[in-house]
Amino acid sequence: MKRVVLSTLLSLLLPLAACTPDSSSSSNEDAATQPLVTSAIPDQDPEKLQRLYSKLADYLETELGVPVEYKPVTDYAAAVTAFRVGDLDMVWFGGLTGVQARLQVPGAEAIAQRDIDADFHSVFIANTNSGLTPIDDIAQLATLKGRSLTFGSESSTSGRLMPQYFLEQADVNLDDFKGEVGFSQSHDATIQLVEAGTYEVGALNEQVWNSRVQEGAVDLDQVQVIWRTPAYYDYHWVVNPDVKERYGEEFVGRVQAALMALDPSVPEEKEILDLFGANQFIETENSNYSQIEDIGRAIGKIQ
Amino acid sequence: MTRPAVDRPSWLTPRSRWGLIVLAAIAFSLWQARVFEPNRFNVGGIPQLLRFVQASVQPDLSLDFLQLTLDAAIVTFAYAVCGTFFSIVFGCVGGILASEVWWVSVLPRHATRPIWLGIRATLAVPRAIHELIWGLFFVNLFGLDPLVAIVAIAVPYGAIVAKVFSEILDETPRQPLIALLNSGVAPFTAFLYTLLPQAFLDLLSYTFYRFECSVRSAAVLGIIGAGGLGYQILLSLQSLRYEQLWTLFYALFLLNGAIDFFSAWLRRRLGSPSRLDLNLRKQARSRGSGGSLPDAHPARQPPERDRWLVAVGLGGLLLLPFSFWYVGADFSKLWSARTLELLGDVAQTAFPPNLDQSQWQLGMVAVQTVAMSILAIAIAGCGGILLSFPAAHTFFLPGGLFTPAQPSWRDRVLAWTGVLGTRAALLIARAVPAPIWALVALFVLFPGILPGAIALALHNMGILGRLMAESNENLDPRPLVALKAQGTPAALVFLYGVLPMTLTRSIAYILYRWEVCLRETVIVGLVGAGGLGRLLTEQLSSFDYRRVVVTLGWFVILTFGVDWVSGAMRRSLR
Repeated sequence: MKRVVLSTLLSLLLPLAACTPDSSSSSNEDAATQPLVTSAIPDQDPEKLQRLYSKLADYLETELGVPVEYKPVTDYAAAVTAFRVGDLDMVWFGGLTGVQARLQVPGAEAIAQRDIDADFHSVFIANTNSGLTPIDDIAQLATLKGRSLTFGSESSTSGRLMPQYFLEQADVNLDDFKGEVGFSQSHDATIQLVEAGTYEVGALNEQVWNSRVQEGAVDLDQVQVIWRTPAYYDYHWVVNPDVKERYGEEFVGRVQAALMALDPSVPEEKEILDLFGANQFIETENSNYSQIEDIGRAIGKIQ
Repeated sequence: MTRPAVDRPSWLTPRSRWGLIVLAAIAFSLWQARVFEPNRFNVGGIPQLLRFVQASVQPDLSLDFLQLTLDAAIVTFAYAVCGTFFSIVFGCVGGILASEVWWVSVLPRHATRPIWLGIRATLAVPRAIHELIWGLFFVNLFGLDPLVAIVAIAVPYGAIVAKVFSEILDETPRQPLIALLNSGVAPFTAFLYTLLPQAFLDLLSYTFYRFECSVRSAAVLGIIGAGGLGYQILLSLQSLRYEQLWTLFYALFLLNGAIDFFSAWLRRRLGSPSRLDLNLRKQARSRGSGGSLPDAHPARQPPERDRWLVAVGLGGLLLLPFSFWYVGADFSKLWSARTLELLGDVAQTAFPPNLDQSQWQLGMVAVQTVAMSILAIAIAGCGGILLSFPAAHTFFLPGGLFTPAQPSWRDRVLAWTGVLGTRAALLIARAVPAPIWALVALFVLFPGILPGAIALALHNMGILGRLMAESNENLDPRPLVALKAQGTPAALVFLYGVLPMTLTRSIAYILYRWEVCLRETVIVGLVGAGGLGRLLTEQLSSFDYRRVVVTLGWFVILTFGVDWVSGAMRRSLR
């Protein structure tokens, strides 16, 4: 009996192997029905953003008159790669990832950013037991030599690239820190690890820090800000030039307008803006990120 | 009165020599991890640790989130089914081609060795690279298609299955095969009628084990834009929503537990007690009677016309088309022209490899990786062995080997709590993905190799403990019962009866799992321990594919090394 059962199982397996489902998207779809695929890199509160993405998709769909789809991605490099191979048409990138993506897709454009992104800052935080006190001049970053430091994610602009740049401005290299510099993988983990004292110093996105302090999620007896970096450009929307072929030359302009038209006084639209932590979206352009590109090349994040 | 000089056998047997090497390797790894330096423990992180632990009793049970968790669990399950299916297909083909016995049957003996060794070496390449890296690679080819997750599981797992299948085939008695070959039957037909039926139950058991591994793996593969528990875990981890994380862990706990329970039931019905038989000479094994204590499971052989088995088998088969439909991967991408074009692009950006960096320095970095993997597997192995005894149901439960003849009511409750508690602990240990253990370990330990090793150890201990508990349950009970009947104290029954029988197999499991630990060092990079994993994540996020190729080359070399060492050790244990 056993043999019968097993051989039946096996023989049943064979035809099933052949019956894989049809592809969900066929390539000869009408251009008009082909959706605009958007995504966002996982950075701040991605679980809120990614689980409530439908609101933004719905808004864009009504404004643009084309179907809009949101594809979630949880990895910076995967988001850039998917943008390169054409699976993502419009992505909410960080400063560095946006540049990486544009360099891999000739013709891609940065079109919009939040009001706060034109004047973005990182903060250096320190565990109070480290004895480190706030500094007011970039040269004093040298006092961090011999301490332990953690960044956020490797590709993060505010959690790694710009902090590393400012450290190098003060002649502090990554080798000068105690042990190896850590990569906590997220701004929130950086706060927790510095609060715990695992690392004495951490560098992160100021916006995340402020919102965690407001929520009361940070023990300010354990961890404090010791330095706020100068301003730089950060997050922005990048559009793939393919969309022009698909929906017409003026499409990029329409997307830009739709994003900028998000009105904080309309409750539904305010909800979308809140998801991004923005008061409103403003115009931006590729040249705003040339500093990021230079730094990225100097540090080796852009080849 | 001088006694004639008798040559005592040298104490330096292959076994003891390996024992010394292992001790030296562990000592070296501990030194690399700076365990001997003071202040490795960070007391300041205890509140953070407690917050994580506390969330385990307050998971997010809101209806919305439960709904999301359920959806994610189904997706993960479906991915695992598809991934396992393909890895078994690859594994069957590769397993035959990588087995010595196949080439011996096909070709004249002197020609076989180079081919066979060549195929085995090729199989080490997919195994050396973690699923997550495969995932990133396939995004380059397939974009954000669910296909990425399936292939990312299927490629490395296919190679693992091929390796294990080929070992099972090589260890299956060959006399029937040789008899058929000598009478002129074609090799493939001879295989089909001799080795495959003989080895079938072992192959099937291993398939179930692989399925459990696929579920865990699908739970780590969160980068692919298609949902699933791994994706949700990554999102909640990003903002450290511990309550949500625990809900997702419990979903994995239930999923893993259900598969575990179900596959054990099925295997018992089929008469194949163990899911992963390593290091066993088949001649020495008595299948069927190798079960637990007498009368624990009187019906070891499947009864005639087992309707349940048929129903379950059919149900299981329906899961396959369901999973393929649910995942909805675009399989045409596997052979589309676009994929080929993209493959060309990747090849162009990745070759020629960039060998500018000093390979000597890379070697030093590789040493850190190896040290972390040795430490991880040593801790996981010891912990697994210790926990495997209370987790086995044949020892302390009523009627078990170490229970008094007439256990009191209290003893029974204690015994059951012990067994179920240990099993739940092992299940939690393996349900929580290694990167999360790494973050938790990093709260209370200073950065370095140690927290990474502990994170990998916890996760792998959960897996090893379960495998070892099962091999404890499947011990031949006769010598143990005989010892007990003679009035031997329980401690001595354990030391002289149980331990010698289980230890060899436990060590075989540990060696087998070592390779996995090596590969997984990539995903615990956040512990700031350096090593090849850290290097690799930095290179991947810089799209520096020319250097990525070199780093992966090092992983392949290390996997060869681990493969060779563990093979040699296992041979010396026989």
